[in-house]
Amino acid sequence: MIPTLGHVAVVVGLAATLFAAASFALGGRRADPDLVLLGRRAMYVAFALALVASGAMVVSLLTHDFSVQYVARNNATTTPPFYSFISLWAALEGSILFWTLLATGWAALVLYRFRHRAPLLMPWVGLALALGAAFFFAVMTWPGDPFTRTTPIAAEGNGPNALLQNHPFMGLHPPLLYLGYTGMAVPFAFGVAALITKRTDEEWLGIVRRWTLVPWIFLTAGIVAGAWWSYEVLGWGGYWAWDPVENAALLPWLTATAFIHSSMVAERRGTLRVWTHALVIATFTLTLVGTFLTRSGVVASVHSFTQSAIGPWFAAAVVLTLALALGLLVWRLPELGDTRPHGRPVSREAAFLFNNVLFLAVTFAVLFGTLYPLIVEATSGDRISVGAPWFNQVNAPIFVALLFLMGMGPALPWGGTSWRTVRERFALPLLAGVLAVPAAWLLGLRGWAPLATIGLAAFVVVVMGEEVVRGAGARARSRGENAGTAVVRLTTRNRRRYGGYLVHAGICVMAVAVAISATAGSDVTTTLAPGESARLGGYTVTYDRLVVERLASDARVTETRAELTLAGPQSGSLHPALRDYPNSSSLIATPAVRTALGEDLFVTLLAVDPARQTVSLHILVNPMVAWIWLGGAIVALGAVFAAWPDRRRTATVPVPVPAEA
Amino acid sequence: MGPMDRLISGPWRWLVVPVLVVPLGWVLFAGIGKDPREIPSPLIGKPLPAFSATTLDGAPFETDALAGRPALVNVWASWCAPCVEEHPLLLDAAARHGDALAMVGVIYQDSADNARGFLARYGDGGWPDLLDPSGSIAVELGVTGPPETFFVDATGVVRYRHVGPLTAEVLDEQLAALGLDR
Repeated sequence: MIPTLGHVAVVVGLAATLFAAASFALGGRRADPDLVLLGRRAMYVAFALALVASGAMVVSLLTHDFSVQYVARNNATTTPPFYSFISLWAALEGSILFWTLLATGWAALVLYRFRHRAPLLMPWVGLALALGAAFFFAVMTWPGDPFTRTTPIAAEGNGPNALLQNHPFMGLHPPLLYLGYTGMAVPFAFGVAALITKRTDEEWLGIVRRWTLVPWIFLTAGIVAGAWWSYEVLGWGGYWAWDPVENAALLPWLTATAFIHSSMVAERRGTLRVWTHALVIATFTLTLVGTFLTRSGVVASVHSFTQSAIGPWFAAAVVLTLALALGLLVWRLPELGDTRPHGRPVSREAAFLFNNVLFLAVTFAVLFGTLYPLIVEATSGDRISVGAPWFNQVNAPIFVALLFLMGMGPALPWGGTSWRTVRERFALPLLAGVLAVPAAWLLGLRGWAPLATIGLAAFVVVVMGEEVVRGAGARARSRGENAGTAVVRLTTRNRRRYGGYLVHAGICVMAVAVAISATAGSDVTTTLAPGESARLGGYTVTYDRLVVERLASDARVTETRAELTLAGPQSGSLHPALRDYPNSSSLIATPAVRTALGEDLFVTLLAVDPARQTVSLHILVNPMVAWIWLGGAIVALGAVFAAWPDRRRTATVPVPVPAEA
Repeated sequence: MGPMDRLISGPWRWLVVPVLVVPLGWVLFAGIGKDPREIPSPLIGKPLPAFSATTLDGAPFETDALAGRPALVNVWASWCAPCVEEHPLLLDAAARHGDALAMVGVIYQDSADNARGFLARYGDGGWPDLLDPSGSIAVELGVTGPPETFFVDATGVVRYRHVGPLTAEVLDEQLAALGLDR
């Protein structure tokens, strides 16, 4: 009954989105607000239907209704409710359903917020969003039906993917990432609408900047949370492996970040307009490529759990989206006017242009490395994979250069500047950067990339600090405010700018933490008998005993656990384990991680000899890893600060439109 | 008007679309349908590894018992949903071919009680089901997860490995290749 309800909701959802698309298209052509209103209401209905279908799936999972194939394959009677709930997005069909829910949610939100605004753009925005949602409903109606039934009904299900039922972070990382992915449809829709209506002026850019920043925050948080998840769960001691699916999330992030910067130039100086459009198109297309890579099983990855008939659907969607959007852009190319940036080489817009070139370079490098196995296979039939060392080598210099621009951009004025200003503004930061390098060297850091990163991070932070001090100082003098009030008023009156600074500061923290943790760590692999100890970097790890028992939360899972005692800068007990899930062919390692601000101690149980009771351990000291997560939090905080609605601006009266939603 | 402006407003600008779309589409479509992790079993063309085990009924079992006729080795578990799906096909094959086909089940990471419950519920075809508490048979066979089915010819050589639930087509085709007609 409940699964049937879900299936009906999906099919009706397809009809509703197609109806909405038709209404928007006709309403836009005839400039008929009644038709547009109809389309908008149909999209609200589509969102409600996606909610009903998702609810039906969650209920089926929680009640272990194994008549639904998805439930039988991804759930067991012993699965705890929390993991049953998050199984909504743990496998292919469910994640498409969840995706549809979020995509229609964004669409409904945007259409509602703009019900009285931008009346010329909105029909076409609605059309693009409705067609996108229709695609996902269609996938669920034909190749990826989440409510497919099976007979005979199994008494017990397969249980969730072992890797995905191992850590509560699975409840956080995919929804954040998906909110980011699906939200990028909004700027795309506005971009398409601007091209169709020839309203490629500043209106759409102003709207789209905030509507890119919000999904960007989710995407950023999702990527950082994913890195954290892989660090806590996968047990290899690292947090970023350039896995195709990590790259799939990074690619739209890179182009969206480039867009956030280029749109400032486009808005301020009226240049880089074609470029800005292209970035919006690229970002959305890359989210689709990412879904394709994740969900079609064409590249081997931790995440490629699935192989299914939806592959061709997504490939077709990518091709069609790119062809149509690019076609629109090319069509309007002659009217988009100035494509070449003015201004001198030492100006803010020049720094932003270089920034965009570098972001594009990283995007191409990552895209090429990710697709390279597919390219090789398409041309020669061989199967190869591109490893992390290649990505690190290619991208490290570009990231270092980006860090440099991060310091230059904010302190350079628009339109160019004099040599004197440059000298004044960069003397102190340059000094800080130059002094930071030998200081880091004396503290034991080696290698050009980490040293350059630290020097540049110091440079960037001092540049921004000087900017804030100068701005607040001027305010304090002219208005007689005290220093604290001046800083608060300065930053809250220009949220975009100072929120951006905070984002940059967070990126600096992350960059330094990554550079140090990647180069200054140490590790040892050892086999211990009970009572023996291993030493690493001031820590002593003593192996006490081996415990084999069934998990209290899920009796189907057997855990083999090494009980360790830790002494040194941190102390206490550690329990790295291997878990044997009945539906996984390999044992899943559960590392023991001790996190501190200075360094983490990370222990993975590699193997166990039950006869002799010995254990093989991989022990790592990972410095500064906690600062990666903290830096990520600062980035998110800064972006929220920047995107926070300005009270003065929202107070303006919206243009009244006769049709009410 | 410079050459750049002529390019931007001229018909040649349309070339951008196919130049970007066609290669991307080609690369994406070329990868579809191939499993990047599919590694054909190294056992194919080689004799089935010899193992001895205890059946669910407590009788000893040696791989010698399979010699002299085509054999089907099915790896399954009671907790495996696709195993339920394919079980009627196995019952049907056993009934159809009788003694001409040797069949044996390998119980994968499961208890004897659960396995008996499965057979009581979904039907016991009468072929021996081997207990594999240490997982050593599964390791010998290189099993990645149930269900998996190995087709072995009358001389004891592994001819085919099927990962995932059997379909009637695969079963008929592979049994025919071993010389068993419908």
